[in-house]
Amino acid sequence: MTNPIYTMGIDVGGSYVKGVIMKYDDATGDHKIVDKQTEKIRKRDPKDVVVDAVEMLLERNQLDYKDIAYLASTGEGEMVIRKTGHFYSMTTHARGGKFFNPEAKTVVDMGGLYVRAIKVDEKGKVMDYKMTGQCASGSGQFIENISRYLGLAIEEVGPMSLKADNPEVPSGICAVLAETDVINLVSKGLSTPNIVKGINLSIAGRVVKLLGSLKAESPIALVGGMGMNTGMIQAVEELSREKKKVDLVFTSNPDAIYSGAVGAALWGGYRYYKLKEKEAAVVA
Amino acid sequence: MKELNELIETCKNYAFDLNFTKAKEWKEAKKDRVLVGYMPIYFPREIIHAAGGMPVGIFGGGDNKQIIKGDAYYQSYICHIPRSIMEIALDKHMEHIDGFIFPSICDVIRNLSGVFKQQKIGKFVKYMDFPQNFLPEIGGVFYQQEMEHVLKYIKEINGKTPSTDELNHSISLYNRNRSLIEFIYKIRQEFPWRLSIEDVYNIVRAGTVIPVEEHNSILEEICEHIKENIGMPQDKIKVVVSGAFCEQPSLGLIRAIEEAGCYVVDDDYMLGSRMILGDIDASSNNPLEAIAHAYINQSQYSSSIYDVHNPKENRLAKIVKDRGADGVIFASASFCDPSLLDAPIFQNAFDKMGIRYIAFQYSENINQYKVIKEQVGTFSDSIKLWEDDTTVLA
Repeated sequence: MTNPIYTMGIDVGGSYVKGVIMKYDDATGDHKIVDKQTEKIRKRDPKDVVVDAVEMLLERNQLDYKDIAYLASTGEGEMVIRKTGHFYSMTTHARGGKFFNPEAKTVVDMGGLYVRAIKVDEKGKVMDYKMTGQCASGSGQFIENISRYLGLAIEEVGPMSLKADNPEVPSGICAVLAETDVINLVSKGLSTPNIVKGINLSIAGRVVKLLGSLKAESPIALVGGMGMNTGMIQAVEELSREKKKVDLVFTSNPDAIYSGAVGAALWGGYRYYKLKEKEAAVVA
Repeated sequence: MKELNELIETCKNYAFDLNFTKAKEWKEAKKDRVLVGYMPIYFPREIIHAAGGMPVGIFGGGDNKQIIKGDAYYQSYICHIPRSIMEIALDKHMEHIDGFIFPSICDVIRNLSGVFKQQKIGKFVKYMDFPQNFLPEIGGVFYQQEMEHVLKYIKEINGKTPSTDELNHSISLYNRNRSLIEFIYKIRQEFPWRLSIEDVYNIVRAGTVIPVEEHNSILEEICEHIKENIGMPQDKIKVVVSGAFCEQPSLGLIRAIEEAGCYVVDDDYMLGSRMILGDIDASSNNPLEAIAHAYINQSQYSSSIYDVHNPKENRLAKIVKDRGADGVIFASASFCDPSLLDAPIFQNAFDKMGIRYIAFQYSENINQYKVIKEQVGTFSDSIKLWEDDTTVLA
């Protein structure tokens, strides 16, 4: 295969399978996302969802498996049968965050099941991390549930949150209690933007605590599904100013949900050349 | 020849049959057949076979057996395997097994032999000491006496004393068994994608609960299959797993290590089946002496062997080198003294030798592997991406 090569990253999460095809240019370092695909798992076998996502990406780009130099999995990698290699999700989200913001010193992965703050060095190496426990009220899945109760599409949550003028943060720490709280807020006649902003502030509170315990440095790249939620970004910025009395700089990207897949595809490209190098050394 | 998947499935069914059905059928097929259960780590199965018996490996219930009664016998700071063995025994899954051997490994296994005696489980219970003196005229002779003691127990049941020819025949069968298993490990060393470590585990464990002749036939067929270029290679690091020689990790955990980005090219999961390296002399006039000689001169390193002249850290380091492994995973059962006491010795030595490693603890019945996968995944990534730390983000 010649330079640049095609690599593919598949991130199997708790709710979604995310896939990207990237053009990896080892010579110039100018890597590009060629195409991307998100598939909700719902009640399907994740293995089938992965095959659907991969084949859709290949077909759309008139490519075949053999054209992909390295098919990398991350997340629940065992669901990706035809992979070349697997990378741990923290490694890939750190790399994905660096791709979206090369200056980032911290990457916050806000996924469907938990939030993880990762300190990275200039090479994208994970230096330290902190993550929330397995609690639904600090996760993207919680936001999804709430948006469903409120009759909102998940994409509407961010913009709706930005319209809030008097948000009320749910009192419950537990998702079950918080969901009950939301029902009460609806009964009280609180506006949807204020409810949604309150939820965002509740999760943002956990993120800010994580950043504090990690002694996070700016700029901070927000990635993962919740990293695309503009309302969440605003909530995190507001809270970090209020609680930490510092102006942390947060950045996001419309493709933030693909950070794991992007990171996997990029590390896949790196490994492809590394393995070639090793092979050449053995032959020599 | 059967399909590979079919052979593996058969082995899996045998390996985790807590009723030991195959052994029971074997015993019922002919009069005077004797079943002898043995615990980890190692026992010279050849002598049971020669005496008209079948050795039956008892490696705990893993995550297939809920512990209710077994917990009553052990404090919370004791490992898990004796509880599940007690549970299996008290649920009468081992009624057809005539006697039980408890090879010396730790106080817990020693005490388990006492509980078996107290509960009158089996016709005999033997706590078997292995020599720690590696001089043939001292340790070797002692070991022969221990084996004779076991044979005496069997004779009391079936009246049989094995002849020299019978012992040599049994030795040759187990020689074949070990060489076929080693063939599988050699193939995996180079082509680990042809057979997963989970499959290897099932295959080797099955051999502890079925007749050796049948196991050899299965192994021969499997070896034929894996000579072929099957499976799809993946970009994974190669590791050696050490420390899991007694209480067995669940299949899910064994699988999780490979799923997280590693090929396990050597391990001590079923160490007893691979304890003797190479063949035991199968033409000796004194086969018990030949077995003792092999144990003294050809045995693997083990936490139950204290040979100051042959440090185990050097022996593990040699395995790492010979298998071309990138690192070591120390997997110790919680509260497993032999494994946990050895781990710092290995780790100190490996720090000096520059061998990379990680360590974690498990219990035979855990079925949540997220934390272990994170640890193993990070280990794998650190070797794949930061091996020489020259990675530059282009």
